[in-house]
Amino acid sequence: MHKIADIEIQHDIMVANRKLAERNQKILDKANVFAVDVLGAIGSGKTSLIEILIQKMDHKIGVIAGDVISKFDAGRFEKYNIPVVGLNTGKECHLDAHLVEHAFGDMQLEDINLLFIENVGNLICPVDFDLGSHIRMVVISVSEGDDTVEKHPLIFKDADLVIINKVDIADAVGADQDKMVADVKQLNPKVKVIKSSLKTGKGLEEIINTIEEFMDNKS
Amino acid sequence: MHELSMADAMVKTVLDVAEKNNATEVIEVTIEIGKLTMLNPEQLKFLLDVIVENTLLEGAKINIEEIPVELNCNICEYKGLADMDDSDHYLAIVKCPKCGERNVEITTGRECNVKNIKIEKEEEV
Repeated sequence: MHKIADIEIQHDIMVANRKLAERNQKILDKANVFAVDVLGAIGSGKTSLIEILIQKMDHKIGVIAGDVISKFDAGRFEKYNIPVVGLNTGKECHLDAHLVEHAFGDMQLEDINLLFIENVGNLICPVDFDLGSHIRMVVISVSEGDDTVEKHPLIFKDADLVIINKVDIADAVGADQDKMVADVKQLNPKVKVIKSSLKTGKGLEEIINTIEEFMDNKS
Repeated sequence: MHELSMADAMVKTVLDVAEKNNATEVIEVTIEIGKLTMLNPEQLKFLLDVIVENTLLEGAKINIEEIPVELNCNICEYKGLADMDDSDHYLAIVKCPKCGERNVEITTGRECNVKNIKIEKEEEV
């Protein structure tokens, strides 16, 4: 005899990821490491910004570099002789908490106090996946068009710090940088927005001070 | 495009539960997807149909229920549905539909939940 049964499952995959993310944050806290999830589109300047921060910030920095099928970014960080783990996502368009937990296994967290986790270049998919970082920093550039915030609202809603990069070429590409700031503020009134040019150094001090403030407020 | 990995995780969850309950077949699966997740239900359904081949789920009816966006307004204390135009995520997360304030917290709409399944199993003797 066969019978039919209804079974409640109620297993939310997002909640499962969030639980792993919370566990990651506990691991980081235990090792006294402050972690920044760095998100943004391809070519917005995420890797360049992290490279500069490695050189300018007075901390023991480590990087987890997420890429789809390459280790180019990890290679760029390794030349600074800091702990780097390249995370190859394979086909995936985002990092998730599970992948990051694996990366922790390849990194001596005791040797660092500030960790940048560079997400895959993408303004859409990473939104759904907390990694366990203490803040989310979104890096966009004026060359993506000044409607990029309106087109990808959720990533800005969840951000703690937004960098609008390459403002030195805003006029050349016809982008209204103040509109981009206003769009972010409309979505997320509490977020800190900084206009920067990594080429000229504009905004860099403010970015560093802001990350320091986040670190101070946490401890 | 992370529908494939999500579909894969869902199928694993369902198979796990089905096997533990000695299912001979999964007849129906109901999944809840929040309207604010970066998941497209149509793509998800297509992928689920493909990856269930040769599993207990093959031929199962897959229901995808969309969860609407709800928010709490930090200013006027409105709690409830957001204004949601199907084509526009922006509206829902920007403003309280009652007072128009922007200081709002999203409370639902980000789910990706395997809710329940209907299975056929051998009657226990």
